[in-house]
Amino acid sequence: MPIELIKLIPWIPLLGAVLCAVCCMKPAWRKAAGPISVLSIFIPFLITCGVYSAASGLQGDDKVQTIYQWMSVGGFSVNMGYFIDPLTMIMLFVVTGIGSLIATYAMGYMKGERGYARFFMGVSLFIFAMTTLVMADNLVLLYLGWEGVGLCSYLLIGYYYEKPEAVAAAKKAFIVNRIGDLGFALGIFLTYMTYDTVSLSVVTSKAVAFLSDPNYIATSADLWIPFLLMLGAFGKSAQIPLYVWLPDAMAGPTPVSALVHAATMVTAGVYMIARLIPVFQLSPYALPTVATIGGITALFAGTIALCQYDLKKVFAYSTVSQLGYMFLGVGALSSFGGIFHLFTHAFFKALLFLTAGSVMHALAGQLDLRAMSGLRKKMPVTCWLMFAGCLALAGFPFTAGFFSKDTILAEAMVRGTGEHGSNLYFFLALMGLLTALLTAFYTFRLWFRVFMGPEHFEMGDDHGHSDDDAHGDDHSHAHEPHEMPWWPMNIPLVVLAFGAIFAGMIVHWTGWMEHSIETSTAQPAIALNIQTDPQPTPAYEIITVSNTTDTHDTATEHPAAATGHSAEHDRAHGIHILMMWISSFIALLGIGLAAYFHWLNRPLTDKVAAKFGMVVEVLYNKYYIDEFYDLVIVKPLRTLGHGFYRFDQAVIHGLVITVGYIPRLAGWSIQPTQSGKMQGYGLGMVLGVAIAALLVFKWAF
Amino acid sequence: MHKAEFLQKVAGLWPEIVMLIGATACLFIGLSKGKGPRRSTPWIAAATLVIAALMVCKNSGSTDEPAALAGMANYIKLAVAGIGLILLMVAAGVPNRLRQSIDAEAAKTFEPGDVMTGEFYAFFLLSLTGVMLTAGAGDLVWLFLALELTSLPTYVMVATSRDRIEAQESAVKYFFLGALSAAIFLYGFALIYGATGSTNFIEITRIAQEQMLLNGGTPPGLLLIGMVLAIVGICFKIAAVPMHFYTADVYEGAATPVTAFLAFVPKTAGAVALILLLSLIGWPLPPAIEALLWLIAVATMTLGNVLGLLQNNVKRVLAYSSIAHSGYIIVGLLAGPAVIDAAGATEGTLNNGIAAILFYLVAYALGTIASFAILSCLRAGDREAQTYKHISGLHKNHPFLAALMLISVLSLVGLPPLVGFLGKIYLIGSAYSTGFTFLVVILVLNSAISAAYYLRIASACYFGEPDETVHSTGQLPRYAGALVAATLAIVLGILGNSLVNASRNATTPTQTTAQTIAQTSDAPTQTAAISNPINLE
Repeated sequence: MPIELIKLIPWIPLLGAVLCAVCCMKPAWRKAAGPISVLSIFIPFLITCGVYSAASGLQGDDKVQTIYQWMSVGGFSVNMGYFIDPLTMIMLFVVTGIGSLIATYAMGYMKGERGYARFFMGVSLFIFAMTTLVMADNLVLLYLGWEGVGLCSYLLIGYYYEKPEAVAAAKKAFIVNRIGDLGFALGIFLTYMTYDTVSLSVVTSKAVAFLSDPNYIATSADLWIPFLLMLGAFGKSAQIPLYVWLPDAMAGPTPVSALVHAATMVTAGVYMIARLIPVFQLSPYALPTVATIGGITALFAGTIALCQYDLKKVFAYSTVSQLGYMFLGVGALSSFGGIFHLFTHAFFKALLFLTAGSVMHALAGQLDLRAMSGLRKKMPVTCWLMFAGCLALAGFPFTAGFFSKDTILAEAMVRGTGEHGSNLYFFLALMGLLTALLTAFYTFRLWFRVFMGPEHFEMGDDHGHSDDDAHGDDHSHAHEPHEMPWWPMNIPLVVLAFGAIFAGMIVHWTGWMEHSIETSTAQPAIALNIQTDPQPTPAYEIITVSNTTDTHDTATEHPAAATGHSAEHDRAHGIHILMMWISSFIALLGIGLAAYFHWLNRPLTDKVAAKFGMVVEVLYNKYYIDEFYDLVIVKPLRTLGHGFYRFDQAVIHGLVITVGYIPRLAGWSIQPTQSGKMQGYGLGMVLGVAIAALLVFKWAF
Repeated sequence: MHKAEFLQKVAGLWPEIVMLIGATACLFIGLSKGKGPRRSTPWIAAATLVIAALMVCKNSGSTDEPAALAGMANYIKLAVAGIGLILLMVAAGVPNRLRQSIDAEAAKTFEPGDVMTGEFYAFFLLSLTGVMLTAGAGDLVWLFLALELTSLPTYVMVATSRDRIEAQESAVKYFFLGALSAAIFLYGFALIYGATGSTNFIEITRIAQEQMLLNGGTPPGLLLIGMVLAIVGICFKIAAVPMHFYTADVYEGAATPVTAFLAFVPKTAGAVALILLLSLIGWPLPPAIEALLWLIAVATMTLGNVLGLLQNNVKRVLAYSSIAHSGYIIVGLLAGPAVIDAAGATEGTLNNGIAAILFYLVAYALGTIASFAILSCLRAGDREAQTYKHISGLHKNHPFLAALMLISVLSLVGLPPLVGFLGKIYLIGSAYSTGFTFLVVILVLNSAISAAYYLRIASACYFGEPDETVHSTGQLPRYAGALVAATLAIVLGILGNSLVNASRNATTPTQTTAQTIAQTSDAPTQTAAISNPINLE
């Protein structure tokens, strides 16, 4: 397949979105929107597969595929162009592959909804923005895609626009993201000022050059850029302190939660940091901050997930928590770990959300864990599909989540132990392990609650699809939970389940992704160390700096001499094996505890919960963070806004009105010259000439 | 002029010759008895424009853009031919006067044979030829004749465009005032000739430079007064203060498609003529001329915008807006062409006022022509749709036209990503980089004022109550013209780089001012020399 086809990838979904918009016009056409949208995502997936080998082999300037010059002002120019390297290809696989599966599922899930075509227009548009984001060859285009996915997220969360909570959630997501995007935009400005370009390839290669130059002194811009960009990443990827929008975003349709708020959009922040990792390395504090925020978020969101009763909220907090892992991964200089987890997470979290959607669908909108139990007989397929997803999320040995999570934790541990280990990373690794325990517990708490135990359910009050024949043969679905049809809903889930179980093994044993990351800009330039000397592990050793003097004032600390390599390698390998054992044990422990408390001995759980009532209450209310933000940020801002509004009305508005009269007055005063009389006009012209001549002569002589 | 030189000059004028042939053909066919041949005149005019455009492309391809303003002629010719096509679409049905004026009285005596006066398109083509010739002028006499060739057909076009008394009235006003202005700038040309002893631009430039050198930087009195008269006289063509008086009346009186024509064609000719004239004395301009242009610019844009605020008639609003845009164009004139640095290179577009003008003319034309075209698609009862009342609520009955109107007024305001934004950026950038900071401030303030009436048009279209008497004329070419202009306003706003580069290439490189001029007037000759190997000497 010719490599040029890759330029088409974002545009096919855009075309799909336009066609879906056309479908909105006539009710008879609406049914076509689903297949159109799926095709418009699936064709790019086929292209991605077709050009994969060619695209991964691109070298040097060939990686930049320019479509046209977008703008050029002075020395500043931005191309509408794509940067194709192995990282791009991995992201494209995730976006288009998982995207087509979820869109296929949505064809069934959204059947009979009023805004069927509108929904698929949003999905196609989202894929357009997301592919643009991951393919952009410069920060401005990336920002365009970044804002584009934000917009689509807003539109899709607010899909049920007649529900006030959906509208509020859409606005919340949009506004919280603005805070992060402000930082991102400032970061782009500063990047341009520092590097004189916004091109990703140039920026990263310049940063690598700085890093490998022992005499380079980091400037204050180098210190600031990562922090500004990081703010954008934290907003988009829902990290502390900007995570609050993601749980609310579950007000959108479930396929949206799976696609936008689990598999793809929220990982954009991780992608961005991985893509620009050399820039982040220039600031000695940036990556440790990323890792710390990621680790804390992972644990924090994990604890909240423990006590949620809303099916989708549990997964939402779990997503926040898993995103925290990814940040911990890139923060520990293992962009491979971060991207690996991003990849596997896309599979199993999409699977979990969609199966949760199936449960919700079957129970007519019921999402409360307390109102359902023992559904395995009613929905056997969904039950075991979700089981596969839960295993992967819990990190059960040899599932996808196990390998990727282990990579991150082991890398953090490698950085945290040994001769020059940093306590920070050691603690973060421990926090990661604790989070893994919580993850296994809350995941299986949910699964055991829903599918095991005595059969019991209360239907929700949302009858969902209005046509009675939405599922053809099934007329009683509003009263009894029912299994989903194989096509188009369960087959995509089976594919996802295979991914959730086997994707990790494939990546781990073939090593293609590790190799891909090593040959992309996501590869950390040299080992970064917080305290003293660096400790390269095999994944990091690509640049060896000849000069070995210490340069503590910069981030460009040189790797250790080659002598330590084999020992380091052995140590890293040992830690990897050890962490595998520990995390296997932790996963099994978590699952066991969950089985005991939430399947075998539920009354005991209630007693325990009653005993620790206050803790449960705090966790259930998400540490009251929303209330805290409301009190500290929203209310004061609102008061301030009212004040400004009053001031604006009284002073500014009055001023504007007054100023606005000046041109009018001027107009009135000269209007008589436009009398319509030709003689007057002629006189005016001649006088004008005379005045001009006089003026010039006065001036010249 | 030697015979060889003459032949070479003619060889570079193939586009104009084609235009003249086309105009003559229209003139004759327009007189034929049968209605069929007469109906073919717009197609002949369109074909002529296309062929002329192709010849311009061929011409510019055959030279390697030797220098300076040489490229400007080709740029303007191409722009005129291209925008001429849009104007042609908008003008559809204008010669078919009964269609506009048909009422109960006229319908009784309706005679199909009277319809369709094909010579309209002959005047149309002749006027465009005038602009093309203006752009290639290398001599004062040539320049004068070209300017008059641009204007004279427009007087007829205004008069015959509607069979209402207003049209005749405005044509008479336009003619007399136009004659007065022609007298003024011809007097100016004569004085320039008197001061330098030549009508040839190269000679004038050389002598003017010598005289200015002797006179300490300012031109001597005779040359100076000649320049002042010429500049102020030509201000009539671009509708700048103090020669702006006719604008609103004439624009209102003419049929709307002809108004669109007036808003672009004579203005382009005038702007080009001013560029050529000022290049005779070169940039940086003598302080006296600079002060004069500065005042004209400020007065023109301010007057246009404040009077635009007060109008209820959209055609008059657009007329005043066209005056204001002339003010912006003069800002570019003040900035002048790019000054090259020691390395012999110029960087960016933001320091080249002439390139900015060339770009701005196109940007302005698209927005203005689109808005006039939309007005021309509408009729209120048996009259033209002209007032805010007529376009209010356009969105309800004619959503397509309302959307185009929105695009075109936003482009005129200068909102990104439309082409008007790029145009303003380049103008402001050039003025700022040459140190006219205060002028830039005034320009920006004026833009803000202009937004008030432009947005009033948009808000009338979208939020007003529809006027029941307003209906569409149903002339598809006019819709197409509006659509093409508005689409280009978006496309060039996003993909405007090629046009920006073209306008930049048309005006660079500039070595010294004197050389610039030498090359300017040499250019057609050089062009010809390459394309025509005949040399009789």
